[in-house]
Amino acid sequence: MSFAVTAGGHRVECAPSQTLLDACLRAGVWMPNSCNQGTCGTCKLQVLSGEVDHGASPRDTLTDDERATGLALACQARPLADTEVRGHGTAGRTTHRLRDLTTTVRAVEDIARDTRRVLLGLAEPLAFEPGQYVELSVPGSGARRQYSLANTADEDKVLELHVRRVPGGLATDCWLFGGLDVGDRVEATGPLGDFHLPPAEDDDGGPMVLIGGGTGLAPLVGIARTALARHPTREVRLYHGVRGAADLYDLDRFAELAAAHPGLTFVPVLSDEPDPAYRGGFPTDAFLEDVASGRGWSGWLCGPPAMVEAGVKAFKRRRMSPRHIHREKFTPADAS
Amino acid sequence: MTTTERPDLSWLDTVTMSELERDPYTTYERLRAEAPLAYVPVLGSYVASTTEVCREVATSPDFEAVITPAGGRTFGHPAIIGVNGDIHADLRSMVEPALQPAEVDRWIDDLVRPIARRYLEQFEDDGHAELVAQYCEPVSVRSLGDLLGLQDVGSDKLREWFAKLNRSFTNAAMDENGEFANPEGFAEGDAAKAEIRAIVDPLIDRWIVEPDDSAISHWLHDGMPPGQTRDREYIYPTIYVYLLGAMQEPGHGMASTLVGLFSRPEQLEEVVDDPALIPRAISEGLRWTSPIWSATARISTKPVTIAGVDLPAGTPVMLSYGSANHDTGQYEAPSTYDLHRPPLPHLAFGAGNHACAGIYFANHVMRIALEELFEAIPNLERDTREGVDFWGWGFRGPTSLHVTWEV
Repeated sequence: MSFAVTAGGHRVECAPSQTLLDACLRAGVWMPNSCNQGTCGTCKLQVLSGEVDHGASPRDTLTDDERATGLALACQARPLADTEVRGHGTAGRTTHRLRDLTTTVRAVEDIARDTRRVLLGLAEPLAFEPGQYVELSVPGSGARRQYSLANTADEDKVLELHVRRVPGGLATDCWLFGGLDVGDRVEATGPLGDFHLPPAEDDDGGPMVLIGGGTGLAPLVGIARTALARHPTREVRLYHGVRGAADLYDLDRFAELAAAHPGLTFVPVLSDEPDPAYRGGFPTDAFLEDVASGRGWSGWLCGPPAMVEAGVKAFKRRRMSPRHIHREKFTPADAS
Repeated sequence: MTTTERPDLSWLDTVTMSELERDPYTTYERLRAEAPLAYVPVLGSYVASTTEVCREVATSPDFEAVITPAGGRTFGHPAIIGVNGDIHADLRSMVEPALQPAEVDRWIDDLVRPIARRYLEQFEDDGHAELVAQYCEPVSVRSLGDLLGLQDVGSDKLREWFAKLNRSFTNAAMDENGEFANPEGFAEGDAAKAEIRAIVDPLIDRWIVEPDDSAISHWLHDGMPPGQTRDREYIYPTIYVYLLGAMQEPGHGMASTLVGLFSRPEQLEEVVDDPALIPRAISEGLRWTSPIWSATARISTKPVTIAGVDLPAGTPVMLSYGSANHDTGQYEAPSTYDLHRPPLPHLAFGAGNHACAGIYFANHVMRIALEELFEAIPNLERDTREGVDFWGWGFRGPTSLHVTWEV
């Protein structure tokens, strides 16, 4: 017989005679540890639910007060029930509650080559962070597809999604670019994801660079507008990387936003179909040309994995702190 | 089974200290395979080289602590690493309060982060640096120096002291008569100790009458009847333990972790991108090149048989944790740095009742230092025009680490 121990989202089997640390390490789940005899305290963790026997945990390392607040030493504690733990010192992050959503299609608009804006009306407002995404159920298939929200937090009754057609794609070609009509009901779940701004009180108004590839622009639209609402004069460089001018959209929207916020620079970059009106190449290279030092900046990347990887490298090359590099990879689920 | 054929270990007769200091792994790999407990003539001592035998000796009730001969010659008595019973209990009770996790958590960030930032500011816009001398060692000694109450002793002086004490402590070669083969090798350690006394004695004089929150002040006063302090001669050997190992090893651990990560660029990138991986990277760095490679020992208190070898009472055994952490019975391809190897416990901090008292402190010093380094210079690269040399048998780490980055 064994108990289930959940640590950092991993669930491992732990025998009653086995320590939490031993069970985790044997299952390949890392947790900090050093002495493995209860004396150093490196493996101290918080028991969130369940119950443990502290075994030979020394009172020097794990005081009675700490025991009372649910702390334990992973190298000494053995489970007495199914138990969930969290590494000591990792502050519990509050998240918006995940909900099942019934939505109604409000509008479907072709905004660029093979690109649509889909507006979904909600019966009840949705609490989310700008940059998060929702998961749509593709009717009749059981399949689910993820789309980022272009909304700010106060735009909580109509969800704005940017969708690019994938040839032969179950969700796009066959549904969102197929029979989808205003008034259709769409089942969704959300909000999801950790691609979003820090809480307003932790946002110092520092400069930001956001790079979106194709419809990877969507979450950046919500994030950039929120960031500018918090600090109207902050420096924001928003790069939109696409193949050709036909893929660009919302140019008027960004021109308007830039007129209201002199710190905002919107830079379309065309990779495959040169056009004298726009910059050519990759948006990550355009950033390297434009910004000499990324120190003190935060960086936001959303798009195909190769673009995101190139962006992380470009940001680090300009010495942006890795803590301030945020990324959302678009996995091509609909292509399969 | 009544007899075991002993392997022919005559090859050990030609092993020299300088060979061990340059590369102990070759010799110890053969020891692990042929004789995990063996008498090594140049050291004049038995040596435990595998995980199993090191752990058995370190935790056995039939052994107690003893300081190595060169270590005892360097530190004197009673050094915390070489004493037992009541004296050991008193010295542990003296050093441990400041090192308890709940206590360390209270101030470690405020202590170490500004120190790391200060050293980074001196070179972060240069585009190149030698990290051992410019960062790893200074952050290590300044953090502990300020904790101990040695704020007025410069970082370079603290680095000089640990280097001299190190070479004295590991001046381990013995001749065939059981005498030190290089007695002149202790001179620089003696000179360092004289200088330490000249600087620390006046501080102790002051702390006796004006206690403050520095660690050494607490060592003098804590647990003593009112009006009394521990005798300075009683605590100096443990001060030397700190001024050598505790000062030097977090720097070794940081530098070895960095060299390991540079050997796996994709793993370096992962760690830079996700600082939560830094503790795991450090743990593997300490396994890969254990800073306290072979510096501690135990002595049998009764006749015992270990790994098939009969030892009479009073036999010292050196614990080669750096070798144990390369034991192929525990680790696949142990000489490779691998952030993602199965995260089994290692012996870099020792085991038993003499396990390192500063594990929690040291791990956090190293963690904060690497966090700040990667935060300031996320595009760090090893300067491949320069090699990386490791040195040391008792204590081991890279002697230098040249890096470059785009500014």
